[in-house]
Amino acid sequence: MAEERANGYKSGSNLEKILRAGHFAVTAELGPPQGADPEDILRKARILKGVADAVNITDNQTAIVRMSSIASGVLAMSEGLEPVVQMTCRDRNRLAIQADLLGAYALGMRNLLCLTGDHQSFGNHPTAKNVHDLDSVQLIRMVKDMRDEGCFQCGDAIKGVVPRFFIGAAANPFGDPFEFRPYRLAKKVAAGADFIQTQLIYDIPRFREFMKRVVDMGLHEKVYILAGVGPLKSSGAARYMRDKVPGMIVRDEYVERMVAAIKGIPKEDKKARREAWRKTGIQICIEQIQEIREIEGVAGIHIMAIEWEEAVRPIVEGAGLLPRPTVE
Amino acid sequence: MNDAHFEPKILAFCCRHCAYAAADLAGGMRIQYPPNVRIVEVPCSGRVEVTEILHAFERGVDGVMVAG
Amino acid sequence: MIVAEQKPLAEIMELLGDARKVLVVGCGTCVTVCFAGGEKEVGILASALRMMSKLEGHPMEVDEATVQRQCEWEYIDPLEERLGEYDVVLSLACGIGVQAMNERFPDTLTLPGLNTTFLGLPEEQGVWEERCQACGDCILGLTAGICPIARCSKQLLNGPCGGSQNGVCEVDPDIPCAWQLIWERAVKLGRVDQLLEIQPPKDWSKSRDGGPRKIVREDLRLVEAE
Repeated sequence: MAEERANGYKSGSNLEKILRAGHFAVTAELGPPQGADPEDILRKARILKGVADAVNITDNQTAIVRMSSIASGVLAMSEGLEPVVQMTCRDRNRLAIQADLLGAYALGMRNLLCLTGDHQSFGNHPTAKNVHDLDSVQLIRMVKDMRDEGCFQCGDAIKGVVPRFFIGAAANPFGDPFEFRPYRLAKKVAAGADFIQTQLIYDIPRFREFMKRVVDMGLHEKVYILAGVGPLKSSGAARYMRDKVPGMIVRDEYVERMVAAIKGIPKEDKKARREAWRKTGIQICIEQIQEIREIEGVAGIHIMAIEWEEAVRPIVEGAGLLPRPTVE
Repeated sequence: MNDAHFEPKILAFCCRHCAYAAADLAGGMRIQYPPNVRIVEVPCSGRVEVTEILHAFERGVDGVMVAG
Repeated sequence: MIVAEQKPLAEIMELLGDARKVLVVGCGTCVTVCFAGGEKEVGILASALRMMSKLEGHPMEVDEATVQRQCEWEYIDPLEERLGEYDVVLSLACGIGVQAMNERFPDTLTLPGLNTTFLGLPEEQGVWEERCQACGDCILGLTAGICPIARCSKQLLNGPCGGSQNGVCEVDPDIPCAWQLIWERAVKLGRVDQLLEIQPPKDWSKSRDGGPRKIVREDLRLVEAE
C-alpha cells in the first residue's frame, strides 16, 4: 500500500490504474441474485471476466432485496473480477455504512460507487422505512475523509488500516433541473469523487450538451467520467424506458429502430424476434459508444446490460475495446 | 321493507323561499301530497347539515329530501 | 397546522370493541380547520357509530363533546366529571390530544379516531400538503425557503437525485420535486451560490432521532416562592 501511495494512486485499484494511464475504461454491471446461491454471481462473473476493467455490484437495485453488494463482490473477486461496490444512502445510516466500508476494504474491495438509492416505493418492500441519514454528496465526503484524513465521519481517527477507496459517484444528465446537473456533478467532485458513472444514455445530443457544460467548468480534468450505456432488449423495453422510467430520456429514433428490427418476422416466431431485437440492441449500443467516445471529457463507458451479461462481450468487442489493457 | 304496504317515511328539508313556498301554494290550491312526507322549513337548503340528515335517519325516517 | 384524517369506520368500530357507552371528543383547533375532528365531524361520526352499532345488533350509547384544544390541560380538565360514565373515550384530536387525554385521565382509556398525518397547510380548499417535519434544526434559510427535509422524498440536502424529471418526484408524479422548486426559487432570488456549497451531514440528534424532545424555558416557568 505504501508503494501505491508512492505511485500517487489513491486506492491502487485496476480501474484507477487504467484511468490514470489514459486508457478508455470499460466497466460493466453485475446484479446480485434474489437468493443465496453463490453460483449466480460466479456464473455472471465468468461471463464478464476479461471484458471490463471493473464490475459494479449493485446494492439492492431498484429497492429489491438482493444478495449484499460486498458479499457478492467477494465472490466476483474469486473469479478474478475487480468489483465496484455500490453503496446507497437508502438502507444504512452513517454507522452502518462506515462499518461496511471497513469490512469491504478488509475483504479486498477498492472501488466504491456512492449513490442516493432508488426510493423504496419502487421495490418489493414499499412499506419499509428509508434512512437517508446522509445524501450521496455527504457519503462521498465521508469516504474521502476516511481515506485522506484517516478519520470517521465524527472526526475520530480510524485505528490501524485506513480504507482507501477509489470513489465513484453517479450523474444523471437527463434529470431535471437540467441547469443544476453540472453543478451537482461539481459538488460531487468537490466532495471527493474520483470517477463518475452516468445514467443510461439514449439521448446523445443532450449528453453532449451536458458534457459541454462539464468541460467548460473544467470538471473533466478533476474527475473521470464514464458514460452509461446499455443494449436495448426489445421495442417494448425501449418504450417502457422512454415513457415510464423516471430520470430517463430515450430518443424516438432508438424506439423506432427497435420496432423496425422485427419487421417481417411473424409474431409467433418469438425466438427470431428476440434474436433480431438483441442484435439491433447490441448494434445500437456499439454505435453509441463510438459516438460517445468522440465527446470531449469522456474517459470511459459503463455498460449496464441488466440480466443480460452475455451482451457485454460483443458490445466491447464491437466497439473495438478488446483486449482490455493491463497497467502494472 | 319487503312488506307490499311499505310506506316510507320521508323527511323533506324545504327552503323557505322556494320549495316550502311551493308546498304552501300547493296546499292553497288543495293539491294533495302523501301524508308520509314531513316537511321541515329551513331558511335555505344550504343550511342543512350532514348531522341533521343523519339524525333524521337515526330517528327512523327512511328517506331524506333536501329541496331548494 | 397539524393535519389529520379520520380512520375508517370499520377500524374505529373494531377499536371500540364491546364498549357500550362512548364519549366522542373533538378538538376545536387544527383538526377542526382540516375537517377531521371538529364539532361537526364529532356529530357525524357519533351518529354513524350509533347507527352502525344498532345495525350490528348491539346499540352503543354515543355522546359528543368538543373542547377548544385537546392538547392543553385547562381545556380538557372540565371533561373529568363526565368521564366516569363512559366505557371509553374516542378522541378525534391529533395524537397529542389523544395522549393528553390518556395522561390526564388515567382511569379512562382514550382511543384514537384519527390518523395524525403531517404538519402542513391547505394548498387549496380540500387539499392539504406537508411542509414541516419538525426536524429541530431549520435549514429553510439555506434552501430558498423550501424544505427538502419535508418535501424531498429522500430528504436530500445537496440537490436533486437522478429521479427528478419534468419538475416531479420519481416517487409520484403528483409530488413536485422539492429540489426543482428550490432551484427555481434560488435562481429567481439570485441565491444560487448557496446551493453550490456542500451541506454537511445533518445533525439528526435535534430531530426525533435524538429521542423525544423537550423544551424548558426557565423564563416562563412558574416558580413557587420559597
